[in-house]
Amino acid sequence: MLPDNNGNNSRTESSDKKKLGGSEISRRTFLGISAFAASAFAASYLLKSPQTSFALSIDEPPYGVITEKWIPSSCLNCPARCATKVRVVNEKAVSIAGNPLSKVSEGENCPRSHIGLQVLYNPARIKTPLKRTNPQKGKGIDPGWVSVSWNEALNEVSHRLKAIREKREPEKLLLLYGLNTISTEDLINRFANAYGTPNVISREGLENEAEKAGEWMADGHYTNSAYDLNNSNYILSFGASIIESQTPLARNLVMWGKIRRGRPLRAKIVVIDPRYSVTAAKADQWIPINPGTDAALAMAIANVIISEGLYDENFIQNYTSGFDEYKNLVLNHYSPDKVSEITGIQADVIRNIAREFAQTRPAIAWRGRGATCWPNGTYASYAIFCLNALVGSVDVPGGVIYQEYPKYRAMPEVTMDNIAKEGVSKPKLDMRRKDKFLIAEVVTNQIADSIISDTPYPTEMAIGFNCNFNMSAPGTDRWDKAMSKIPYYVHVAPAFTEMADYADIILPACTFLEEWAYDHCPPGSGFSELKLKQPVVSPLYQSKSIGDIIFDLVRLLGNSVDESFYGIGNNAEEFVKYRTSTIIYWDELIKKGVWVEPEYKYYKYDQIFNTPSKKFELYSNNMENALKETQKTNSDRIAFLPHYDDVKFLGDKESYPLILTNYHPLLDIGGEDQNYPWAQEIFLVMHGYGWTNFAEINIKTARDLGIKDGDMVWIESPFHKIKTRARVFQGIHPQVVAIAQGQGHYSSGKWADGIGVNPNDIIGVDYDYTSGQTSFFNTRVKIYRA
Amino acid sequence: MVIDLDKCTGCQACTIACKEENNVPFGSPEENRQRTDMYWNKVIAVSNGEYPSVNIEMIPMPCMHCDNPPCVQVCPAKATYLREDGIVMQNYRRCIGCKYCIAACPYGVRNYNYKEHKEQEYSRPDPPPDRSVIGLWPFPTRTHGVVEKCTFCFHRIDAGLKANKKIGVDVVPACVEACPAKARFFGDLDDPTSTVSQLLAARDSFQLREEKGTHPKVHYLSK
Repeated sequence: MLPDNNGNNSRTESSDKKKLGGSEISRRTFLGISAFAASAFAASYLLKSPQTSFALSIDEPPYGVITEKWIPSSCLNCPARCATKVRVVNEKAVSIAGNPLSKVSEGENCPRSHIGLQVLYNPARIKTPLKRTNPQKGKGIDPGWVSVSWNEALNEVSHRLKAIREKREPEKLLLLYGLNTISTEDLINRFANAYGTPNVISREGLENEAEKAGEWMADGHYTNSAYDLNNSNYILSFGASIIESQTPLARNLVMWGKIRRGRPLRAKIVVIDPRYSVTAAKADQWIPINPGTDAALAMAIANVIISEGLYDENFIQNYTSGFDEYKNLVLNHYSPDKVSEITGIQADVIRNIAREFAQTRPAIAWRGRGATCWPNGTYASYAIFCLNALVGSVDVPGGVIYQEYPKYRAMPEVTMDNIAKEGVSKPKLDMRRKDKFLIAEVVTNQIADSIISDTPYPTEMAIGFNCNFNMSAPGTDRWDKAMSKIPYYVHVAPAFTEMADYADIILPACTFLEEWAYDHCPPGSGFSELKLKQPVVSPLYQSKSIGDIIFDLVRLLGNSVDESFYGIGNNAEEFVKYRTSTIIYWDELIKKGVWVEPEYKYYKYDQIFNTPSKKFELYSNNMENALKETQKTNSDRIAFLPHYDDVKFLGDKESYPLILTNYHPLLDIGGEDQNYPWAQEIFLVMHGYGWTNFAEINIKTARDLGIKDGDMVWIESPFHKIKTRARVFQGIHPQVVAIAQGQGHYSSGKWADGIGVNPNDIIGVDYDYTSGQTSFFNTRVKIYRA
Repeated sequence: MVIDLDKCTGCQACTIACKEENNVPFGSPEENRQRTDMYWNKVIAVSNGEYPSVNIEMIPMPCMHCDNPPCVQVCPAKATYLREDGIVMQNYRRCIGCKYCIAACPYGVRNYNYKEHKEQEYSRPDPPPDRSVIGLWPFPTRTHGVVEKCTFCFHRIDAGLKANKKIGVDVVPACVEACPAKARFFGDLDDPTSTVSQLLAARDSFQLREEKGTHPKVHYLSK
């Protein structure tokens, strides 16, 4: 009821007061004595602390705002890197809000940005450079840290680096990095080239590679896809947790509000996922699917669209190639009835969503981690991406768009001496683009095995920047073994994590709120936006920004490595200034924190297709050409077309009847560190639980297994088993067990350690062998009461 | 306040922004199990239906600031009261910590502070409300042993009124400001031209536990 009518409202109010009045008095009388006792107690408390005559509490910090600043900066709690402004009171950061000048997140922020405060003031921060005294390395072994000076630490590291170069084996240095600013990534890559190692490994291979490869097969862009959500009328999500973990999250959240009720026409959202995700809960329709069969569903949707003539004839005729072969494949092999058996979705439901998708334009088919982090994920990604072409949703308002990036000032060529030149031409540790990983750009999870087996050569030394692969990559025990094996490991990060335990030297990096850096958003907005990071407080303890650490190291290394860093500034701040100088005035950038490029232009069909045919390819010539290079034998034509292959699961169905799935809840911060109480206490909104994760199983499955909600259970894969609490749940496919990522830490600080389990402990190691994408979902498990 | 459940993404930015603004202490696993951790605003999940037609509704829950608040009725110490503008306030100095109001509140949005002041690891130099802005605040910073609750960020409203700003437009509570999907609206329900009134006139809405006769001032717009 709308209480705008005052008369009505006050009448009901007074009558209610009368109703409750009697009991009110009796309650007061009843409690009178205890109230008196309590106030007497409070009075005696006051007498004990005469200095605080007004306040009840004693040890209060000094009151009042002496200095207050709002400093524009940006976030790094996920790859979206949203622009923020930080309120700093008396030299302490106290709150974080969105930067209203940002167009990517439209001045808003997701919850993760606020956690930045706890990242900054994390009690597990590393205060000084640390040196290991215990030569034994391994899980749970105390490294015996002793504090050393920056000079001693950097000298030791540079001494080691020099020694490897002197042996003319720079390829034996391995650089690993997790979530870093774009400027840090640029510096790490530059350092690798100058030093001469081909082994720079990002964490991309854990999350994004299959999605990228799918788009590349179609249009030649090896990138995640961007969608013009704001103008879209229909969103079909294949395993994409749009409002939980898909980047850029803040933009997705803003747009979600807009397309639901922020404009006259409300967009329809359909989520296909074996798990009832938050996205599914907030969507109009949730369609549970047999795990790993998204590609088949996409092909069946194409079948309906083509056979009923619902596709965009103009776009197909003028801007695509290979339609006939695609059409034959789709019509001959993927009828809704046949696919219904594969996916477990009724043929009528498939027909319905296909028709809706084709007729409610502009429509988006959005593929997420749940659909692509599988063996053959590239083809699933390709199959789903092609649906956008069928309905003409390519570079149109409300369709797939093409992300633009700020044009940073170019850096001079890296000065490479002969050692470096030889080094970078050596085969790479992750075996990319060899027989195994056909078109891969990075195969993150392969590194552990390469280190253990010394293939193609042993690793002498590694430096890890803000990474924690011992938690975030499946087969965690391999990473424990590999990290113990590396003769010398340098860890550069702001806080203690599991991976830091294997270091010989830890260099304390500062957090993103204390450093100079530039950043831009991953694909999402279309138009480009540059975001500055500037120190909102001076680096805490003895920490230094990674940029500065790299500059320090190259100066110590001298020669051509040092020369490669001439002319781009002498430290992180000058480097950021140099790189952004072609885009915006420095003073203006510091004041605004962002630079936004003018409007996005649609319909660039003459520019956007990086394919041999210069068209959107439903038959991938890119793939055909690439496979000719890497493979000696000729591939079957099906390798160049989107298609579905039966999933090869790890573990046999009889012994391991269930399929283990996992997901990133919104408050899984960056996926690698979780020592943040604000995130921990509301970790799983869907279940109303914090400080934990559990095995989510379907209520019927649980009944069959004799498991009740809250029981402790073992989840056993062919590789390992973990013990956790069962959560009996309506919102999950009966053949699936789901565990949230982000917990199970054991060396990350008091708010993360010993909480929940890490599903990566029991997930088997497998890949999409086309893109090198780690397969997260094809491990079978059994579950029984503990 | 009006919360649009169709726009809401269940992201919980409101919960965190509230803690950030009001310096509400965070909990621990132990407190979480005992449900003694404190939230002035929390997103709850209500589950209906069976697989595969399950429906889980995520509902952000600030204090409903009832026009007929049961908590005020039962408080023996007159520590909680209804302000003239309709905000239900809690005076920590009067509160005797009897928790009667917690039992009386049908929405479970009141919190008993079990925390020692020293436990607050991320203590701020400016525990809001900022006294330099609104003068001496009648209630001290939160303390162990009293009941506390959402204030609709009254310190923002009071400071905004003093500065002649428009409440609901220029000045909103922290949860409203932080909502990325812009699902929360704040304003004067008695003013028919305010956004909140217009939204309620245009869309289907409900209040939680209307049957209790509490007349909550938080309205939800349904999907």
